[in-house]
Amino acid sequence: MRIRAERDDLADVLARAGRAVGTRSPLPILQGVLCEVSGGKLTVTGTDNEVTVRTFLDVEVTEEGRTVIPAKLTADAVRKLPVGAVSLASGDGYIEITGSGPRFKLREMQIDDFPKIVDVSGGETIVLDGGNLIRALAQVGVAASTDDARPTLTGVLFEANGENLRLIATDSYRLAVKDIPGIATEGARLVPYRALRELGRTVGMGSMTVTLGDREASFVTDQGRLTVRVIDAAFPNVQQLFPDGHSNRLVVAKDAFLEAVDRAALVAEDHIPVRLAMHGGGVELSVIRQEVGEATELLEGDYSGNDMTIAFNTRYLRDGITAVADDHVVIETSDPLKPGLLLGASSDDFRYLLMPVRL
Amino acid sequence: MQTAGILHADLDAFYAAVAVKENPALAGKPMAVGAGVVLSCTYEARAYGVRGGMPVREARTLCPHLIVVDGTFGAYTQYSKAVFAIFGSYTPVVERLSIDEAFMDVTGSIHLFGTPADIGRAIRSDVKRETGLAVSVGATPRKFLSKIASQVAKPDGLIVVNPGEELEFLHPLPVSYLWGVGPVTKRRLNDLGIHTIGDIAATPQDAMTSMLGSAHATHLYALAHNLDPRPVETRRKAKSLSAQSAMRAKIRTLDELVPVLKRLTDRVASRMRVKNLSARTVTIKVRFGDLSSITRSTTMPASTDATGAIVVVATKMLERVLTEFPNHETTLLSVAASGIAAGEPTQLAFGVDDDDVSGGSPRELEYEALDQSVDALRKRFGADVITHGSDLLSGRTKNTDGLSDIMTND
Repeated sequence: MRIRAERDDLADVLARAGRAVGTRSPLPILQGVLCEVSGGKLTVTGTDNEVTVRTFLDVEVTEEGRTVIPAKLTADAVRKLPVGAVSLASGDGYIEITGSGPRFKLREMQIDDFPKIVDVSGGETIVLDGGNLIRALAQVGVAASTDDARPTLTGVLFEANGENLRLIATDSYRLAVKDIPGIATEGARLVPYRALRELGRTVGMGSMTVTLGDREASFVTDQGRLTVRVIDAAFPNVQQLFPDGHSNRLVVAKDAFLEAVDRAALVAEDHIPVRLAMHGGGVELSVIRQEVGEATELLEGDYSGNDMTIAFNTRYLRDGITAVADDHVVIETSDPLKPGLLLGASSDDFRYLLMPVRL
Repeated sequence: MQTAGILHADLDAFYAAVAVKENPALAGKPMAVGAGVVLSCTYEARAYGVRGGMPVREARTLCPHLIVVDGTFGAYTQYSKAVFAIFGSYTPVVERLSIDEAFMDVTGSIHLFGTPADIGRAIRSDVKRETGLAVSVGATPRKFLSKIASQVAKPDGLIVVNPGEELEFLHPLPVSYLWGVGPVTKRRLNDLGIHTIGDIAATPQDAMTSMLGSAHATHLYALAHNLDPRPVETRRKAKSLSAQSAMRAKIRTLDELVPVLKRLTDRVASRMRVKNLSARTVTIKVRFGDLSSITRSTTMPASTDATGAIVVVATKMLERVLTEFPNHETTLLSVAASGIAAGEPTQLAFGVDDDDVSGGSPRELEYEALDQSVDALRKRFGADVITHGSDLLSGRTKNTDGLSDIMTND
């Protein structure tokens, strides 16, 4: 294998594929990326056996071939070369990286040990704007669990019903649902959020083709392809968690609300909730921490309903307000022990249902 | 002014002594309390080399005519309560170490009851008169020294070490009296010619560090120089709560073990609720007939104090252990709760999966409501008023059995 490319382009494809490489992988081969050159094109593949990222680059090819090279070291070496053209050449168990002057000679890894990468089979295909999907995933992803003991809850459910693509995540304390309209496909797959979080940094924001296969889901742009093993478990039926109605409705400015919660969070520790006392003029936020002190703040807003105090975990509340893509946030409540619903004042395509803290 | 005002009181062979009180025919005989393992034994049995913690089988080879008494039933708690009431009548500063052992700070009581030596003597005679039990007492200016003094005083003795006399008392004693010197350390020290606590004090600290490692050496060196600044603490923060039960019958199946598990959990969770604590981690330990044991833990997403929730988590682990080790006879089961949180407000959960019994989930809240009713009933009518159905089916009607009471630890 022998190629030449611009330093920045080469560093980029190596780094993006390298994001799939686990830093603590038990298998040494998974610390490497597979480089394949054929038909004027370099394909770089990194995997941790769950998530696989494949990136592409048009390069000047002197000799086709394949090799596995250490992911991080190679990417760093290329990045640190002087700006300009860089050549990669493999042979005799080494890969040589040369820029204008400097030269690295790194040992190749055993190509036979590299896992076979299978392409996604079966399943429905959705074409949509990658930027849209990535923003939508960021909205629901905050509600996904990071607890590996509950694998089902670490995923985002992709549920296409012929009209909408609905994205759902819950960690059992909050539930986030986002609808992307205009998707004519049907099907459902549970995809680990850990992998989805990497979409923007690996395959980018362009037009994206999503395939929900039987065992894998893939996300393809002209910059690359991310494939991830889907979670083979039934996602809980969460639709029933949304209350039928609500008696109280508060509307407040998003930025002011967020800042007020941030100030309250200064006094709160993670387990100390912020109390929202809602009444005609708006909402009073307060945090009381016995050994430290307290913080209170009055926030103006529109409120209809009975005077009521409800308490939420500050971080969960903050996540929800942040995720609402609107100037004004609505909180609908009915009871201090029943979930509160956050959504935007002008649209309900994103809904964040949050269980309260019992005082 | 410094005085010998820190007392360590330790009841002599407590479980065995109570067993003798309950059955005077055992007096003067080599006798051990325990099932599978010796929990406690009389001084007559100790003469044969029988020690606490030893398998009963081994104890019998040392002492063939050893009488082994099942410790399950006994009035241990009542005796302990009576003894602690006496301790409390001499000072409010009592640090309970276990059912039969406590530190007391009597410096504030000297103007009422006399010197620490007088108080030590008074406590010993009160305990003897009111309960018939022997308690050994060490009275010194420091905690660790008082504990050593009470061990030296055994059986049925009192040792007072006044300020200025500490090193004179401490240095001739064998190293094994120091907390932190087990059989291995003792052998290592002895091999180097270090036999007494005085030998440790005379050894350069660098040499000790190279032998035992820095932390261990610093600790022993400080003790050998009579440095121990810890005050007597009346309330210690619980890191974990546990209860265990030794089996009397040969038990192999889950059906037989679950009633025991429920009883132990009930005990642990009730105590958490009394103290307004909750726990995230549940640990079970199963010991088999061959003395091998298996420990399993589960950490829940959120902490709970609900008996039912902990039973669900513990039963799941127990089931897996029994599947993994089929046909093994279980001789001991313990349940522990750790990852303790105190008085935190409950984050409610949706309960998206039916298995979720962690704190704040709908199922946990149901168990919690049940606990509230059970606790209220027990508070009003006593601990035995309500129990698990599995206990009634197995013919057991009392919640308060001696052994699980005494084997609970904070």
